[in-house]
Amino acid sequence: MIDERTLQAALADHLPRQRWFAGDQDSAGAHSVVSMTVLKSGWPALVHVVVEAAGRRWQLAIGLRAIDAHDSFLDGKGDAVLGLVETTQGPAMAYDAVIDSELAPLLLAQAMPGAAVDRSRPMGADQSNTSVVFDERLILKLFRKLEDGPNPDVETTRGLLGVGFDHVAPLLAEWRDGAVHLAVVNEFLVGAVDGFQLALTSLRDLYDARVKPNEAGGDFGPEARRLGGVTARMHLAMSTAFATTPADPSAWADDMLEHLARVPSDRLDVSAVCAVYDRLRAVHPGLAIRVHGDYHLGQVVRTDAGWYVLDFEGEPARPLAERTRPSSPLRDVAGMLRSLHYASEVAIRDFGYADDPEAHELASDWERRNALSFLKGYNETEGIAVLLPPVETDHATTLLAFLLDKAVYEVGYEASHRPDWVGIPQSAVRRILEEAALT
Amino acid sequence: MAEARKWDGLERRGRAGAARRKKAKPSRVVADPEWYRKAVFYEVAVRGFYDATGDGSGDFVGLTEKLEYLEWLGVDCLWLLPFYQSPLKDGGYDVSEFFSVLPEYGTIGDAANFLQEAHHRGIRVIADLVLNHTSDQHPWFQESRLSRDNPKADWYVWGDDNQRWSEARIIFTDTEPSNWSWDPQREQFYWHRFFSHQPDLNYDNPEVQEAMLDVMRFWLDLGLDGFRLDAVPYLFERDGTNGENLPETHEYLKRIRKEVDDKYPGTVLLAEANQWPADVVQYYGDGDEFHMCFHFPVMPRMYMGLRREQRYPITEILAETPAIPDGCQWGIFLRNHDELTLEMVTDDDRDYMWTEYAKDPRMKLNMGIRRRLFPLLDNDRRVAELFHSLLFSLPGSPVMYYGDEIGMGDNIYLGDRDGVRTPMQWTPDRNGGFSRADFAQLYLPPVLDPVYGFQSVNVEAQLRNPSSFLQWVHRMVEVRKQHPVMGVGSFELLNAGNPSVLAFVRQTIGDDGQPDIVLCVFNLSRFAQPVELYLGQFEGHTPHELLGRVPFPPIGELPYFVTLAPYGFFWFELLPAPAEEARV
Repeated sequence: MIDERTLQAALADHLPRQRWFAGDQDSAGAHSVVSMTVLKSGWPALVHVVVEAAGRRWQLAIGLRAIDAHDSFLDGKGDAVLGLVETTQGPAMAYDAVIDSELAPLLLAQAMPGAAVDRSRPMGADQSNTSVVFDERLILKLFRKLEDGPNPDVETTRGLLGVGFDHVAPLLAEWRDGAVHLAVVNEFLVGAVDGFQLALTSLRDLYDARVKPNEAGGDFGPEARRLGGVTARMHLAMSTAFATTPADPSAWADDMLEHLARVPSDRLDVSAVCAVYDRLRAVHPGLAIRVHGDYHLGQVVRTDAGWYVLDFEGEPARPLAERTRPSSPLRDVAGMLRSLHYASEVAIRDFGYADDPEAHELASDWERRNALSFLKGYNETEGIAVLLPPVETDHATTLLAFLLDKAVYEVGYEASHRPDWVGIPQSAVRRILEEAALT
Repeated sequence: MAEARKWDGLERRGRAGAARRKKAKPSRVVADPEWYRKAVFYEVAVRGFYDATGDGSGDFVGLTEKLEYLEWLGVDCLWLLPFYQSPLKDGGYDVSEFFSVLPEYGTIGDAANFLQEAHHRGIRVIADLVLNHTSDQHPWFQESRLSRDNPKADWYVWGDDNQRWSEARIIFTDTEPSNWSWDPQREQFYWHRFFSHQPDLNYDNPEVQEAMLDVMRFWLDLGLDGFRLDAVPYLFERDGTNGENLPETHEYLKRIRKEVDDKYPGTVLLAEANQWPADVVQYYGDGDEFHMCFHFPVMPRMYMGLRREQRYPITEILAETPAIPDGCQWGIFLRNHDELTLEMVTDDDRDYMWTEYAKDPRMKLNMGIRRRLFPLLDNDRRVAELFHSLLFSLPGSPVMYYGDEIGMGDNIYLGDRDGVRTPMQWTPDRNGGFSRADFAQLYLPPVLDPVYGFQSVNVEAQLRNPSSFLQWVHRMVEVRKQHPVMGVGSFELLNAGNPSVLAFVRQTIGDDGQPDIVLCVFNLSRFAQPVELYLGQFEGHTPHELLGRVPFPPIGELPYFVTLAPYGFFWFELLPAPAEEARV
C-alpha cells in the first residue's frame, strides 16, 4: 500500500528518534521492511509494518491520512510523525497510529475482536513497548522489539495468573503472529502509582519533618513490608508455574565476574569484590526459579488493592534465553533493596539537600528501615524458606553477592552515563564489602 | 408538593406537651421519602449545647432557643445524644427509664415543643436509642435480679457459667475484664457487652422485643423523625459465635423497619455498627433494614492519608466498600462524641495512628483516640477545610459534630470521653455563654486554654468575622445542598498519577432531567502538588469551581492539568459546552 521507497526514507529518519529503537542512525538507514499488512484502507488507513534493523525486528502501526485532511491531533507530536509518503491511495501523511483515536481501537480489535471502546489515549512509551489506554479500563501494550518466540512478559504473567497470583494486571487478550507476540491487552489498573513515586512522597515528607523515618507521617515501612510479602508470593507462584532447577552458584559467580569485567577497574576494589563472588561458589544456594529479572521500585505499582508487579521482560538488552533463565529469588530481592537506596539518594538530589549532612543521615535511616521492612515482609511469608538458601550464613552470602553484582553494574552504568551519580553505587559497593567482611 | 405538609410538626402546633396520641394522629405526609440521602446531619448533646434554665446543664429549652443558629448553619437533621432518664454513668447510654426525659434536660413537654419548633424551621430530629442494654438501675433490671422466677426474670441474659460465649470480644478493654458480672442478689452472672452497669436485654424474650418497639412508637408519636440505634450488632447471643451480626439480630431489626415503614413513613433508622464495610452492609438488608449506617473505617483512614500524604488509606477502604441497596446511604463523619475509634483498622495501622495522633498516653482510650477534630489536626485551618470538603463530598450524608464548625478543642484531662463533650462555646463571656450558672455548677468545665478556650473560639466572634471557619462551613453546607449529587450521585475514583492527590467524580441526573456532574480533587500533602486527570469522557465540558463559580479552561483531548495548593481542594461542576460551541 505504501510505496516502499518513500516509506524507507521516512523510517530512516523516524526510527532513531524512537525511545524503543535500540539501533543508531546507520542501522536505521540500513533497515529492511519484512512485512507490510493493510489493516484498514480508505482514509484514515492503518498499515502494520515489521522492519529489520540493527539485527532485530521492530514493529510499527502506521496511520495514513490524505495530506489535505491532516488533522490537528498531529500538532506538536513531531516524534510520532513519519512524514509524507506515497500510497496507492495517493500522497499521505504517515504517523504512529497509536496517537490516532480513530485507528487505535482497530489495533485493540486485532487482539480483542469486537471490543467496543469509546476513547483511547497513548500512554508514555517505555524502552521496549508503546501502550494505549482505552476507556481507562483496558491497556494495549504494543511490543516494539519483536522476540523470536513468545514474549517473556506475557508468558510469565499468564503463568502467574494461572497459579492464582493476582498481583499482576489481569491478561485479557493477545495479538500474535504464530508464536511471536505482537501486542497484549491487560486490565488497566486504576489509581496505580509506581513505587518510586510513592517512595519519593515518603522522602519528601521525611526531609521536611526531620524526624526518625518510623516516626514520620509519611513512613514507608508498612508499604515496604507489604511489598516484601507480595514479592515473596510472586516467587512462590513462579516456582509453581515454571520449572525450578537445581541452582549452580558457580555459574552465578561466573556471570558476576563477567559483569565486573565490564566496569572500569579504577572505580572499585576489584579483589575484594571477587572475594565475595568466590564465597558464593561454596554456598548451599536454595532453588533456582523463574525470576522477575529487572526488579525495582519502578516495576511495581501501588493500587487500591495493594502492590502489583509489572514488566516481566527482564533486562531488555539481554538475549531472551538469558532473561528467562532460572536464578535465585534473592536476585530480585537485591534489585529492590538497591532501588530503595537509589530512591533515598535521588530524593536528596532532586529536593536540593545534596549538601545537607543531616539529610544524608535521614536518607540512610530511611533506606535501612525500609530495607528491613521489605525483608521482614518477604521472609515472614509462609513457605518462602523452601526457595532460599537453608543455612543462615549462606543466605546472607548469596544476598550480598547479588547486591554487589547489582551495585557493580550500576557503577559501570553511571560511570558512562551520569558520572556525577557514580558516588551512589560506589558508596553501596563499599558498604556491601564492609558488611561482607563482617559475615 | 406543599411545603407546609412536609413537616407534620406543623399540624401539632399549639398542642405542645400532648401525651401519646396514637390513634388521633394523621399519617405522615412526606415530600421526599429519601430526604436523608441529601441531608446534612448535626450531632448534638442536649446537655452540652445551651443551658436556658441556668442549672449548669444544657436542656431542651436551650436547644430550642438555638434552633435559629442551626437553621442558619444549614443543618437538615439533628441527631440528639440520649436524653432519657439515666444515672449518666455512660453519657446517658445507660437508660433507667425510656419514657421520660432526664430532669436536668426538661420535661416531655419541653421535648415535644422542641420537636415542633425544629420541624417548623424545616429541621428534622433523630435521637439515640440503645436497644442492646439498659442501666442496671432500670426497674426492669431491678425486678429481674430479684429472683429467678419473677415476671421479668427472663428480660436480661443470666447464666451460671461465666465462661460461656468466650468467643465474644470485650469492647471496653480498659475497664472490663469480662462480659459477665456476678449479681450477688440473684446469685447468677449477667451478660453485658459494654460496662458492667449496663446489663444486656434478652432479645430471645418476645416481651422484650415488644417492649422496645413500644419505646420507639412512643417517641415517634411525639414527633421524632427517626433513631440512631446504638450498638446494634450485639442484640442476640448464640453458642459458638462471637455474638455479633447474628441472623436473629437482623430479623428483629427488619421487624423494626417494617413497623416504621408501615406506621411512620419518612422515618429514618441509622445504625451504629462499628464493623468492616463488608459486614456493615448486611445491616441494610435488601433495603429492608437500616436506611443508613455509619461508615466507620473511612474516618480513621482520612487521618492516616493526611499524615502519610497519600490517598491510599482512603481509596483502599472505598474500593473495599460494597455497593448498598437503593435508597440506602452511608453516614460520613470526621469525629463524634466517642473516641476516634481504631477498631476498624489493622494492628499495624493502629500503632501508626497512636504514634501519630496520641502522643500523650492520656489521649488513648480503649481502641481509640479521645480528641476533637481541631487538636487532631494541629489546629490547622487548611487541613480542617480539606477534611470538611471531604466530609461534604464523599459518598454519603455528612454528620457534623457540635463545636467542630467553630474549631473547638478538647480537654484530655477529663475522664472517659468527657474531654470531647464539653459545653458549646457561644460567646467570650462567662462560661462561654453556655450557661448563667456558677462555674462550679457546670456539668463539665468549658475549654479554657489560650488556643481553644471560649475567649478565642466561639460562635459570636466567628459570626461577626466573614472569613471565620464557621462562615466557611456555612458556605460549604450551602454549596453542598445546591448539589444533591453529593448525596445521591454515583462515585467514581479517578486515575491520578500523583499519590498525594485524591480525585473522584460524582454523577447523577437531576430533577430537571439534566446530568449533575461534580469533580472533586484533593491534595493530602502539605506541599503544592500537580495532577493530570484523564477526563476523556467529559471532553468539551467546562469545569466551574463551585465556591466562586469561576469557569476553568474546558476539558480537551489532553489530560486535564490541575495545580493544588498545600492541602488544597477543588469542587468543580462539569457543564457541557453551550449548544453553539458544541462539536458537530
